[in-house]
Amino acid sequence: MTMTPLTRRSFLTTAGLVGVSLSGWLERLAADAATHPQRRRSCILLWMTGGPSQMDTFDLKPGHANGGPFKETDTNVPGLKISEHLPKIAQFGDRLAIIRGMSTKEGDHGRATYVMRTGYTPQGAIQYPTLGSLLAKELGHEAEALPSFISVAPYRADNPAAYGSGFLGPRYAPLIVGDTSQLAGGGGGGNRYDEALKVQDLEPPRTLARAHADARIELLRMMEKDFVPSHPGLAPQSHQMAYERAVRLMSTSAAKAFNLDEEPTALRDAYGRNLFGQGCLLARRLVERGVPFVEVSLGGVNGGPGWDTHGDNFTQVQRLSGILDPAWGTLMEDLKDHGLLDSTLIVWMGEFGRTPVINGGRGRDHFPNAWSTVLAGGGIKGGQAIGRTSPDGMTVQDRPVSVPDFLATICEALGIDPKKQNDSNVGRPIRIVDKAAQAIKEVVA
Amino acid sequence: MNRATLPVRFALVAFLLCALVLFVQADPSPPAADAKSAADIIDKFLTARQTDANVKAVGRSSDAEFLRRVYLDLAGKIPSVQECHEFLDDQRPNKRELLIDDLLKRPSYVSHFTNVWRAWWLPSMNTDFENPALRQSFEAWLRARLSENATYDQMVREIVTLRAPGNRGIRELGVSGRGQAMNTGVSPTAFYQVLENKAENLGSATSRLFLGTKLECAQCHNHPFATWSREQFWQYAAFFTGLENNRPKREITIPSTKQVVQARYLDDTVPEFKQGVNPRVTLADWMTAKDNKFFARAAVNRLWAHFMGTGLNEPVDDLREGADGKELLDELAHQFAANNYDLKFLIRSLVLSDAYQRTSARPAGEKGAEVTDEEQAPLFDRMQVRGLSPEQLFDSLVEATRYQSTDLPRVRAEFLAKFNNPTERATELQTSILQALTLMNGKLVGSATGMSSSKTLEAVADSPFLDTPKKIDALYLAALCRKATPAERDRLVAYVDKGGPSGDSKQALADVFWAVLNSSEFMFNH
Repeated sequence: MTMTPLTRRSFLTTAGLVGVSLSGWLERLAADAATHPQRRRSCILLWMTGGPSQMDTFDLKPGHANGGPFKETDTNVPGLKISEHLPKIAQFGDRLAIIRGMSTKEGDHGRATYVMRTGYTPQGAIQYPTLGSLLAKELGHEAEALPSFISVAPYRADNPAAYGSGFLGPRYAPLIVGDTSQLAGGGGGGNRYDEALKVQDLEPPRTLARAHADARIELLRMMEKDFVPSHPGLAPQSHQMAYERAVRLMSTSAAKAFNLDEEPTALRDAYGRNLFGQGCLLARRLVERGVPFVEVSLGGVNGGPGWDTHGDNFTQVQRLSGILDPAWGTLMEDLKDHGLLDSTLIVWMGEFGRTPVINGGRGRDHFPNAWSTVLAGGGIKGGQAIGRTSPDGMTVQDRPVSVPDFLATICEALGIDPKKQNDSNVGRPIRIVDKAAQAIKEVVA
Repeated sequence: MNRATLPVRFALVAFLLCALVLFVQADPSPPAADAKSAADIIDKFLTARQTDANVKAVGRSSDAEFLRRVYLDLAGKIPSVQECHEFLDDQRPNKRELLIDDLLKRPSYVSHFTNVWRAWWLPSMNTDFENPALRQSFEAWLRARLSENATYDQMVREIVTLRAPGNRGIRELGVSGRGQAMNTGVSPTAFYQVLENKAENLGSATSRLFLGTKLECAQCHNHPFATWSREQFWQYAAFFTGLENNRPKREITIPSTKQVVQARYLDDTVPEFKQGVNPRVTLADWMTAKDNKFFARAAVNRLWAHFMGTGLNEPVDDLREGADGKELLDELAHQFAANNYDLKFLIRSLVLSDAYQRTSARPAGEKGAEVTDEEQAPLFDRMQVRGLSPEQLFDSLVEATRYQSTDLPRVRAEFLAKFNNPTERATELQTSILQALTLMNGKLVGSATGMSSSKTLEAVADSPFLDTPKKIDALYLAALCRKATPAERDRLVAYVDKGGPSGDSKQALADVFWAVLNSSEFMFNH
């Protein structure tokens, strides 16, 4: 049963903590949802905070002055070459579609992040939803205990609105884990990933007896039943929904998805013992349990814009590749082993690329004119590069791709109509992707 | 030639005298009303509208309802148990009015409205917990002005005309790492820094915040919904050029074009610039003039929305000509200006009205969970349920539980970061799953309802003077500012006396307190 979305003509009369206990019928319902016959696709977004250098990852120019010291490596597809520092991913060349013709307009972190993640430029009143919310709404299943959109270690400082559900409201807001700044005593780098990758405050205090944990929720339910029906409004309804979903998360075994110690040590090692690597492992577990959209961000030491390599570009990119490659490569393998690769689309992108011309600090600066993104896995015809940049990397010579084009491609790969409309907060409907978008047909399976 | 001009001059003077007499006689506006009269104007207008729509307004709020609501709205948090008792036991017929006056004099009015104005004027600062220097500097300025009860036009004027001393650019006023404005002490310089000293940003922000006009869409192309053109956007932004080097130009080139436009007011009139007078001073004069049709209305609408849930005009910062509440908005704007833009006058007018003091409960017997349709303007026949700001929520939790911590500022900052919820309307505040989990299982409520660390709970649980019903009432008063109803009391007394599922009465009492603190009745302003 799918519930209608939260609209102004609300349906929630007897909503709220209906008959919930911390051990009960929701268990069955969640189990049903996980084996739902119409298994839809999932999407994992690997977000590279800061703008990853295409010249040193997926569109190298060895031999040119702009090329830098990195060499190319063959992938398992003849002719398709990527950076030597991405060897594991290179073995999945046949599952990758590298889009080398990304050509966008924004060179500012905040704006570019917003445009890449929502598909629209920021326009005053309209609160555009982020990609995860848009896709979660199309792909999600209401009765599931886990939220449909989970965000791992996002770095939101540049543009918090680019990480929110905007006018789609709290139902599609992301559940955020891996925010090391929220840990008591400060971040501590990527080493506290075990602690960080759990849902904060998921459990009542240890000292509280289980029976009391159940009983007090029942007390709360009765109080809500007295108050809420006589005080209708959107705010109390949102509150009830959040509590209902929180209790669901607490009360079913769904939250066990976050127990990474259930995985074999060797596998955890293969992903890489850092926040991003373990975050990718978590993504696989969540997708396995039916979560339709998971994003994992890779940035700096405390999650900042690590790919923003204005100086010392090559050392940094090599280091980041050393984290990215085992994580992404193992993720592909792991999904394949679990039979999930064909139904999981992986998107690799940042907010823009970097200048082909190397600057005085051995760095590269912001460059939206010609850069790369990658689509991999389910719904994608891999083994190809779409578009071509000039030998010096400065312009797109063949097949430029705009932000809406790219996002429309993602939709098509997931079996979603990008032109579908949602009700916005300014009274007019807004399409998932701008209607001028042209999906890259060659890439969609 | 002198002879010819003398009769001309005489005629001119006579003409002017006549015009003056006529003008004075022709001025029909009544003298400035006091707050009580303004409140009456509000109620008269709304009652007429409700009658037209065949809607009957609900009754007055109970004392407890009013008490909690007005404390949240004027002091930024719920009242203490002592304050509850004082008000609820007070027999004076005008106690509500007296309470309002009292609250407006307290320091909590200043700190609450510092948060409120900051949230309106610099919304991006709400999330800036990593770099609080800018926010703190702006709050210091707000606090100073609100403490001295500066008039609204004075505050806006100060922002709009801000300049560094001497001939230096505005960056000289920048905020240092320690939150000190570098050269001029307390100043609203953060307003400019957040907007990056850019003409287009300042144009957008000042027109939206101070003139109730959303020009942003027109920055790049003609506004899709309203009548603003791209040219008009840049004509207004032109007032804010030359900030970097204090050389304002009064004109600007529209980006990506060769078109140069001159600074123009929003109503398209031509400013009378004077030599040596900064164009922003001229703009501020125009903005704050008593007959400026944007300025007072924008302020009134925003404060109306703050106290009543939604504006007389929605969206709150985009005034439309044909809005339903226009007449009342105009009248209140006129009164606000006539009272010299005194904020406390305006606030009093709003909270003294019957409209503000209505109950928020839907009358029994009405069916269906209908929520006001977006297209239909609210009739303000019932007080709407509004979300709390993160500050209000935290401070109320601390008040209710008498939470104590050696590290309160850090706990508060963490909580505020978690609960930052950008929203246009308090009636539409969203709660996220993580927020729900924090409230249910997090350390704040956990320690507050833990048996050994909550002052409120400890005092109630261990008191030899209170039987179970009185204990329940004490917890309700602490959190909800009211006693339990008989039905509630019966149910909860039974639960506590039984000791809940394990026979532990103290834990059962803690359970009750936990439930009350997580309830919608606690979480919202109603």
